Amino acid sequence: MRRALVALGAAAAAVLLLALSGAAFGHSPRALLGILLDGSVGSRFALEGTLLKTVPLLLTGLSVALAFRAGVWNIGAEGQFLIGALAGYLAAPYGVVAALLASMVAGAAWASLATLLRLWRGAPEVLTTILLNFIAFHLLGWCVNGPLQEAGGRYPQTDAVEASLPAIGALHAGILIAVAMSLAAWWLLYRTAEGLRLRATGFNPFAAKWAGVNVNAQIVRAMALSGALAGLAGGVELLGVTHRLFERFAAGYGYSGIAVALLAQLHPLAVIASAFFFGALVTGAGELQRTANISSTVATLGQAIVILVLVVFAAIEERRWSR
Amino acid sequence: MHLAGITKSFGANRAVDDVSLTLSDGEIVGLVGENGAGKTTLMRIAAGELTADAGRVDGEAELVHQHFMLVGDFTIAENLALSAGRLLSVADAEAIVRDAGIVLGDVRRRVAELSVGEKAKLELIKAIAKRPRVLILDEPTSVLTPHEAEELFRVMRRLAAGGTAVVFISHKLPEVLAVAQRVVVMRRGKIVAEARSAETDAQRLATAMVGTVAQTAPMNRRPAESDRYVLSLPMGESHSSHPSYLSHPSHRSPAATHLNVAAHEIVAIVGVAGNGQSELAARIRDLTDATRTAHIPEDRTRDGIVAEMSIAENLALTAKRWHPRAAQRHAEAMIGLFTIRARDASQRVGDLSGGNQQKVVLARELSRQPELIVAAEPTRGLDIEAARFVHERLRAAANDGAAILLITSDLDEAFTLADGIHVIYRGRLSARMTTAEASTRVANLMAGVA
Amino acid sequence: MVEVILLALTFSTPLLLAVLGELAVQRAGIINLGIEGMMLTAAMTAVLTAQATHSAPLGLLGGIGGAALIALLFGFCTVTLSADQIVTGTAINLLALGATGFIYRELKLFAAVPQLHTEVFVPMAWIVAPLALAFLLWRTLFGLRLRACGENPEAVSTVKAHRWGALAIEATLIGLAGGFLALALSSGFAENMTAGRGFIALSIVIFGRWKVKGALLGTAVFGLAAALQYALQAANRGLPFHVLLAVPYLVTLLILAGVAGKVRAPEALGK
Repeated sequence: MRRALVALGAAAAAVLLLALSGAAFGHSPRALLGILLDGSVGSRFALEGTLLKTVPLLLTGLSVALAFRAGVWNIGAEGQFLIGALAGYLAAPYGVVAALLASMVAGAAWASLATLLRLWRGAPEVLTTILLNFIAFHLLGWCVNGPLQEAGGRYPQTDAVEASLPAIGALHAGILIAVAMSLAAWWLLYRTAEGLRLRATGFNPFAAKWAGVNVNAQIVRAMALSGALAGLAGGVELLGVTHRLFERFAAGYGYSGIAVALLAQLHPLAVIASAFFFGALVTGAGELQRTANISSTVATLGQAIVILVLVVFAAIEERRWSR
Repeated sequence: MHLAGITKSFGANRAVDDVSLTLSDGEIVGLVGENGAGKTTLMRIAAGELTADAGRVDGEAELVHQHFMLVGDFTIAENLALSAGRLLSVADAEAIVRDAGIVLGDVRRRVAELSVGEKAKLELIKAIAKRPRVLILDEPTSVLTPHEAEELFRVMRRLAAGGTAVVFISHKLPEVLAVAQRVVVMRRGKIVAEARSAETDAQRLATAMVGTVAQTAPMNRRPAESDRYVLSLPMGESHSSHPSYLSHPSHRSPAATHLNVAAHEIVAIVGVAGNGQSELAARIRDLTDATRTAHIPEDRTRDGIVAEMSIAENLALTAKRWHPRAAQRHAEAMIGLFTIRARDASQRVGDLSGGNQQKVVLARELSRQPELIVAAEPTRGLDIEAARFVHERLRAAANDGAAILLITSDLDEAFTLADGIHVIYRGRLSARMTTAEASTRVANLMAGVA
Repeated sequence: MVEVILLALTFSTPLLLAVLGELAVQRAGIINLGIEGMMLTAAMTAVLTAQATHSAPLGLLGGIGGAALIALLFGFCTVTLSADQIVTGTAINLLALGATGFIYRELKLFAAVPQLHTEVFVPMAWIVAPLALAFLLWRTLFGLRLRACGENPEAVSTVKAHRWGALAIEATLIGLAGGFLALALSSGFAENMTAGRGFIALSIVIFGRWKVKGALLGTAVFGLAAALQYALQAANRGLPFHVLLAVPYLVTLLILAGVAGKVRAPEALGK
């Protein structure tokens, strides 16, 4: 309950600070808030846009939450998202289900590269996952400029895939998949013995090991699941929204997943609300860029503020405990 | 030095309660009391590390902590420079060591490579180099061999002869009586007794430390079934790739070369901390089947509990299945059985007191009905009641057929519980001894003199 | 060949400064993952200052100012409040990415950006900066205490002051790195122009075993690889452009995999 209030406070603080920073450059904060709100939830169209953004954020947020819960620093959802989309594109001719499965497997495999480097070579995953993001980015860049470029060869993008998620209007079935994944992740973490051990590993790997938990197996599994979720996010985005790949395909969804997960305090069900909030922020920020000519990167700024407020609050709370 | 009316609380817990104490030049004062009696808190206030809620501190003191505050990657000389607050040449560092009157060898050695005893000496040198008028030593002998402790006592006497007041915190009463002129006893934050060493004895001090305790007779134990070893580990070959452990449980391995523990038996490994005890426990953990072996790890807060999780969750860590409601019920039963003082089963284990955290570990590990229990320092930091409770549970587990390996630096604990004793020194185990044999030889073996 | 080496040294100068800065804080026990954002902020403030003052050297000072602001925020969270360093660093990166994008669009000045000359700066960065840092860390009492903070903070009574000191060193070096990147290697600011240099720097600190010599060696090897990449690109040997772009990260990954587990990090790193 208390933690939910803190999260609400952090979200509110982010929106307020954004409006204030707009004011610093001569925009009216009230007008900015109005645009943010109207542009994200103010109309059916805006709400649809927000939900479309919520889907990938929900899945990358779950990905990060699961990894962080197990104490693994997977900062690589961005790269896993791209690799997942790439695999989904390649498997798309075999149907939607095959494409989504391929994107999960590919995301898991890409993330597992980092696990492998950690367990086999002792390389910290916090760095290797980031480096793998850059590699994935350039790999995709090469694909859409080279072997997978569209038949016409005009733009650095692929042809559109035929496979598509079922949709009502613009809203595709990805939202059902994402919510189902939240429930599944919650069930895994809080209703199974393995989930209990995964959480124990995240809180205190030493104690987990002494209690007979196979800590390395937990890390391998958490990272693979985390990668699969991020990969799935890429596949869903491809089959539900863009239908083709291009250089800036990931658009920061992986990094935003970190903010989504932290705002949800790493709880899989809270991730739904958190992803919706950030989905609204991103959509509203897009509207700000269109109507008020304010850079849509303010959405990223908002994510940063949310994390910082949460971090500061958690630190203060921790100090109170230790006193 | 003069302390007047010192009071200090942590949360609702009053650690030091209106204590006054005067220290004169050149005297050695023993400060004794149970864990949690407030000794260390009082002395940290005297040394200026903590500020008291109320009361006055006149004078300055230097405190040597129980755990080392050394930089392992630095040399002895660099550690001395860090504490002296100026850069030191090798010659400068050697002079400081010499002035302290302690022998420590080459000051260019990395501290990580020193033995525990040498590290303790370095801490002492750091403190003496500051030429304090009052020197406080917090449980200095807990990591020393009996011989090293003698050396420490000589240094203490020499410092006192030079006019320094020395406070010696310990819970080992005989050594306090031997070295201190005056003994101060604390209990629950207050000074409850004070006497000249010559005019008191260990029995009276112990009573003052603990208050009145109901004596319970030790439980009778069935003799060990020595034909079936649950644990059989080759000693000395720590690199053996083919541990015989549990591969042939009934196979008799020669006692001279193996660490053997049979069902119904308690075998103790004693030694000064840092001689390979943790490595031994970790090795047994890695070699054994986790479902049949219980571990009570030495470092409770790091290795025993998950502080952020509830009692129910901590208890379920080793269970095959997890269902919140069933786990809650199981935890409530355990809370009753192990007299864990907690609000309810969903309380965070990190919020429990040390003794109750240990009981959570104990409840989890013993309720699995393991074949083998490896208990490392199971009563460290517990008060006498809690320690007795732990001992009873271990005895009961042995009665029920478990094999128990007790790793401890507390000789009394080993002698009360064990059927056989090994001494560990620099990673090697001595041959097994009966408690009677051990009583005469342990001190030498622990020091590596044998 | 000499030209390639000179090119390599010039192009990897910001990286070297970043590696040295991160080395200083990691020796004091701090992992600053936000170094990427710090450099990006410095690049922007350097450009803005240089445009406003029409002076590239003053632009460098502006870069240091920008880096210092980020260091203040990072230090407040991690040193003063002891918050989680990795989460804070990640937030700082997002903050810098968002804030520079936003502010630069708001303030976009059309004044020309004065260019910084590399003849003085590059030798200073490759000779003076490493020597000065090595002297400070290994020949002074300040350095002894700073390193002790990274090994066992309990052994030092002034941990916070020394960690702040290390952050000040880092802010200075990263400010110069960001300034050099924007004022000498490019002609102005561009969104996300640091392109992962901060993360590569973090990896080189590990590769260099937290030593100044290792930092120099690691950056030089890396710079040469990058220069070869440019040469190959110019020669157009058929290797696709995007594959070449991925090379630095791939090399870094291999470097990390090669050495990470075998080296001993400062004991209290990240705590």
